[in-house]
Amino acid sequence: MNMPMTYPSTMEPAMTPADEPILDLRKLSKTFGEVQALDGVDLTVQPGEFVTVVGPSGCGKSTLFNIVSGLEEPDNGSVLRFEGQSVHAKHLLGRVSFMPQRDLLLAWRNVIDNAILPLEIEGANKAEARAEAQRMLPEFGLAGFADKYPHELSGGMRQRVALMRTFMFKRDLLLLDEPFGALDALTRTMMQRWLLEVWQKHKRTVLFITHDVDEAIFLGDKVLVMTARPGAIKLARTVDLPRPRSADLVTSPEFISLKRELLDAIEEESMKTFGPASH
Amino acid sequence: MTYDPMSPSQHALARGVFGGLALFAIWELAARLFDLPSYILPAVSEIIARFWTARAVLGEAAAYTLGEALAGYLLGGAIGVALALAVTLVPQLRKVIVPAATAVNSVPVVAFSPLILLWFGMGVSSKIVMVAVAVSFTMFVSALAGFDRVDERSVNLMRSFGASRAAILWKLRLPTALPLILSGMRLSTVRSLIVAIVTEMLGAYGGLGWVIYQAVIVIDFVQVWAAIFVASIASLGFFAVVSFLERRLVFWR
Ligand SMILES: Nc1ncnc2c1ncn2[C@@H]1O[C@H](COP(=O)(O)OP(=O)(O)OP(=O)(O)O)[C@@H](O)[C@H]1O
Ligand SMILES: [Mg+2]
Repeated sequence: MNMPMTYPSTMEPAMTPADEPILDLRKLSKTFGEVQALDGVDLTVQPGEFVTVVGPSGCGKSTLFNIVSGLEEPDNGSVLRFEGQSVHAKHLLGRVSFMPQRDLLLAWRNVIDNAILPLEIEGANKAEARAEAQRMLPEFGLAGFADKYPHELSGGMRQRVALMRTFMFKRDLLLLDEPFGALDALTRTMMQRWLLEVWQKHKRTVLFITHDVDEAIFLGDKVLVMTARPGAIKLARTVDLPRPRSADLVTSPEFISLKRELLDAIEEESMKTFGPASH
Repeated sequence: MTYDPMSPSQHALARGVFGGLALFAIWELAARLFDLPSYILPAVSEIIARFWTARAVLGEAAAYTLGEALAGYLLGGAIGVALALAVTLVPQLRKVIVPAATAVNSVPVVAFSPLILLWFGMGVSSKIVMVAVAVSFTMFVSALAGFDRVDERSVNLMRSFGASRAAILWKLRLPTALPLILSGMRLSTVRSLIVAIVTEMLGAYGGLGWVIYQAVIVIDFVQVWAAIFVASIASLGFFAVVSFLERRLVFWR
């Protein structure tokens, strides 16, 4: 509880200079009893940036998101800065748009009412929120599905509803935890291109977890590779590929050489988890 | 596919009605063929005739019993759901409430009836209390199973939107538990009437149980059967109404 971090005080500037990162994590660690999930994560995200995170399974990616969304407090000694202010994780509740690994749609709400859930919680006018959601449906490929219930939707559609819900919660920072993990390859490619369009239009900052290196490069301004558990940032690479990005980008030499480098780093880490024990 | 104007539940209803009619036909035939005395088995026609002649008494008794059962049912339902909610919101209570409730329920409720009659008298309150005791346990178990189905990840999602505990309760926990709460309510309908009637037989100023008890004393078995028929019609009606509400409210499954 008593963490050595500066609590948001009136002494600090309320305004964030343009070059100030929206999210700044230093020496961020998290221990669950015996298990150390994160060990000294350092990362910064600039406003408007699209940062992708890849890493072996169980390295603490979701834990990182749970902290940044305010659900879990990091260990003492961790520094968590948001919009230029040092904060406790719990102060981030309600301040970032979090999309968990599963869609978690509510079975008794139709598409529109699932999408407006965060606005309802904020106390927004329901009729206005519904009208807004209705206008956003086509953009999310859900035109004509307003009154459908989750059990009537395909996996890809459910994921789009969950994404729409995340976008309707208008916060500058979006945390997307493997949003396309459960989709087939074709749907996935479509969704990636679509997400880039939506992101460019809405001008949000995105932190995006994935298992797929192609996806990480195709989407990101910056790709972070995490180490095996306890997780830390092993490698950070800027993706210098022009936007808007087209599908044939994945065969370009720059793409392939970056992919090679990232895959090597991930494989090295995966070996630590699954390879022969060599202490 | 051939067009079928009846839904599966209508089919079930049709089969039920057919089965009932067949049973009545065999019953009537047996009673007449073997010329059974009415204290063993009166003919169905005799019982139905009694419906008419004793309609005032039976109608009043049915209303009396249904009133008690309904009051106890609602009270017990509210208590059961409230306890399950308390256990859900304050997990430390689980270790206290669950064993206590199980201990109370391990004895058939009817065993408590002498005490309850002593404490609450022969009037309607003792019946309402008995029904409430019987229903609250079933409802506690159903509602608790319902609340336990709430996905912690959904709770976290709502917290990340800045939801208060009350908002999470109202928008997530209650709707998640609703299907099991309502199926508990459906199962409790029949139980509530049985307990009301049995308690009336042990001491009351009115109701179907009281009518049965009085009829046994004067050896009027047609009256006993007429009251039993009325009780089962009331029971079926109560069950049907709650089933209908359940299907309406839990539309998403
Ligand atoms: N609430 C918790 N209590 C105890 N241990 C936890 C908790 N949350 C996560 N862990 C542990 O922390 C480690 C990291 O888990 P996390 O879910 O963050 O991994 P991940 O990188 O998201 O994995 P995946 O790629 O499979 O989604 C795991 O060993 C997990 O068992
Ligand atoms: Mg994860």
